[in-house]
Amino acid sequence: MAQVRGSCESFCPDGEAKMRVREKLLNYFELKNGQKNTPGVLVKEFTRSAADAKMPLPKEMRTEAALTKTVEYLLKDIILDTRKPYNLAYDFIFDRLRAVRREMVIQMYDARQKIRLLGPIVMFLAYSRYRLCEESIEKFDPKICNQHLQECVTGVLCSYDELDGQESSKESTIRELERRCFIECLYQVFNLGSPESLMRALTLPDYVRQDPMFKLCFGICLAFQQGNLYRVLMGFPQLPHILCAVAATKLQGIRRSLLKVFTHAYNNKQLTVPVPYLLRLLLIDSPAGLQDQCRHYNIALTVDRKAVHFNKTDFNDDAELLKPQQERFVESKLKRIYLPEVLLLKKLN
Amino acid sequence: MFGTVNNYLSGVLHAAQDYDGEALGTHLSLRDVHVQNHNLYIAQPEKLVDRFLKPPLDEVVSAHLKVLYHLAQEPPGYMEAYTQQAAACGAVVRLLQQLKDENWCLPLMYRVCLDLRYLAQACEKHCRGFTPGHVLEKAADCMMACFRVCAADGRASEEDTKRLGMMNLVNQLFKIYFRINKLHLCKPLIRAIDNCVFKDSFPLPEQITYKYFVGRRAMFDSNYQAAVQDLSYAFSNCPDRFASNKRLILIYLVPVKMLLGYLPRKSLLQRYDLLLFHDLALALKAGNVNRFDEIVRDQELVLIRSGIYLLVEKLKFIVYRNLFKKVFAIRQTHQLDMGDFLSALQFVGLADVSLDETHCIVANLIYEGKIKGYISHAHNKLVVSKQNPFPSIST
Repeated sequence: MAQVRGSCESFCPDGEAKMRVREKLLNYFELKNGQKNTPGVLVKEFTRSAADAKMPLPKEMRTEAALTKTVEYLLKDIILDTRKPYNLAYDFIFDRLRAVRREMVIQMYDARQKIRLLGPIVMFLAYSRYRLCEESIEKFDPKICNQHLQECVTGVLCSYDELDGQESSKESTIRELERRCFIECLYQVFNLGSPESLMRALTLPDYVRQDPMFKLCFGICLAFQQGNLYRVLMGFPQLPHILCAVAATKLQGIRRSLLKVFTHAYNNKQLTVPVPYLLRLLLIDSPAGLQDQCRHYNIALTVDRKAVHFNKTDFNDDAELLKPQQERFVESKLKRIYLPEVLLLKKLN
Repeated sequence: MFGTVNNYLSGVLHAAQDYDGEALGTHLSLRDVHVQNHNLYIAQPEKLVDRFLKPPLDEVVSAHLKVLYHLAQEPPGYMEAYTQQAAACGAVVRLLQQLKDENWCLPLMYRVCLDLRYLAQACEKHCRGFTPGHVLEKAADCMMACFRVCAADGRASEEDTKRLGMMNLVNQLFKIYFRINKLHLCKPLIRAIDNCVFKDSFPLPEQITYKYFVGRRAMFDSNYQAAVQDLSYAFSNCPDRFASNKRLILIYLVPVKMLLGYLPRKSLLQRYDLLLFHDLALALKAGNVNRFDEIVRDQELVLIRSGIYLLVEKLKFIVYRNLFKKVFAIRQTHQLDMGDFLSALQFVGLADVSLDETHCIVANLIYEGKIKGYISHAHNKLVVSKQNPFPSIST
């Protein structure tokens, strides 16, 4: 099959732009200053490949430079746009990035090109997964976000494997190596304790395995696999920004497991366990947070609410996992970064 | 062997006319002596072959001769050879479909698939420019085509059914899936074998290989009881003269059994050159967490390469249990100070452990049923049961 190359140098091919302006199919973020019907910057929409659709012409597809610029525009200008709630910006960016991914596939980009474009998309999805974790299902579907994140991150990893298979891979710059380590870390934390990800971690090239951040991530995953949840929980706050955010989406499951372990270990009618100790171990920052957990899993508090009665028969095994929430230790980290810089993998620490 | 091409081709023809699958397999094997015959290295053998053989067998043979040709080049054209072997495999599929209610050509299929895997491995090793594992995965797709034909052959009688070829193919596919770390693909294959009416009439050597891989997979899924069953079957049925195979089985069987509370005999480990496990067992028995970590660190590469690193790491909580049991033996009381456990951990050389973590480790052991008792946080004590506070792991 002949390789198709796009020739469009803007965010949105002319044909689509004209059609969407004419038909008034503009997204809020594509209107000039939010005014009705005044077109601003348009970005190519995602459309499915369908049997009746013709193969796109070169002018209907963007060049690599244009795709890179599109990603940069979305993850810089749009993501910092605070006029609308973030979930709307997310929907817009998600769709437009999906169009970028589709063009990348049609144009059959090589490993290096894929890594450059997919890396920021992975970062965006990971960040959004955390940022929107408290939203209701109508506003944000975590399952779809997870699916796409998994797909994109494995896409990047496969590309890295491909580069490993080529001799030219030694020419990578330090920045590129750093990026790889970060994405490998993200994959590990996102797939915490899965046999496949652990196996992958064991067979990575040495420079990744020796990377301090990767060692930390792998240590956490290994501790999780062994059942040493203490090490997992103490490791989380040491992770940098986005990794910490991804870890936070796993936190409720780990808290539940540890509480369940405690209901067996501290199981006694007379004895109690003090709240501060539990707050520390479970990474919960207020007694109210712990009370929520206790209520949810049917764990009794003492009358003065300063201690907890653990009883293994009372523990509500059927209670659904609590929704992930924004955690203070993550928020403080995210406050300190300039988001576009991190999402575009320009600066990682 | 054979001398001329014509001799070779008539040899193939005779084997096919006699329904001699074994001989046919040998004639198309890359490990047979005929591959050294320079007269058989032909770039375009189609016309010659057509004079002797009918489709689709002619395609199998043509492709085979092309494989020989490409492998004889300097440097060997592994990728081209692989492509031809894949074509041969495709032709075998058509041959199988054509021969209804007959299964004499199964040995041919085994041979072609086996060589396909060897060539794919050679490509992975010598060629560049594709994602690692890609060629092997493609090879697995070709074998799956064979597998589907075999599995679908439900109407023939038990002696003639091609379903007898399933286990051989499944074992080949296992070898690929384990190599490229795609274990989830094993599941449908296992189900197909489990549902097979005559799953016990497959040849013993194939059953041993099969159980070996199924056991490893169960181990991977943390299904340790099943893993021990399958691996033990493989180990006890594997004849003693295949010492290296027995050793391979033991590499997985020993750590899984350790996890279930059975320590290996030194003499056994000595015989199979696996004393690494003896060192691990000693550290485990002594509850020496630090020594245990040290061995794992030193032997990291060996453990990773044999795929048991994660399993061995899982033994850690048993090491903790044994250490804490020693604390109990020294103190001789049912109310044990948590500080004593912390001291014990520090005594064996763990520097970065805190009282909080000690609590969590003990809590986990109680949860897993490895210690019977409860912790009193207020008194910082573990109160253990009067009866059998440290139940044996193996029960």
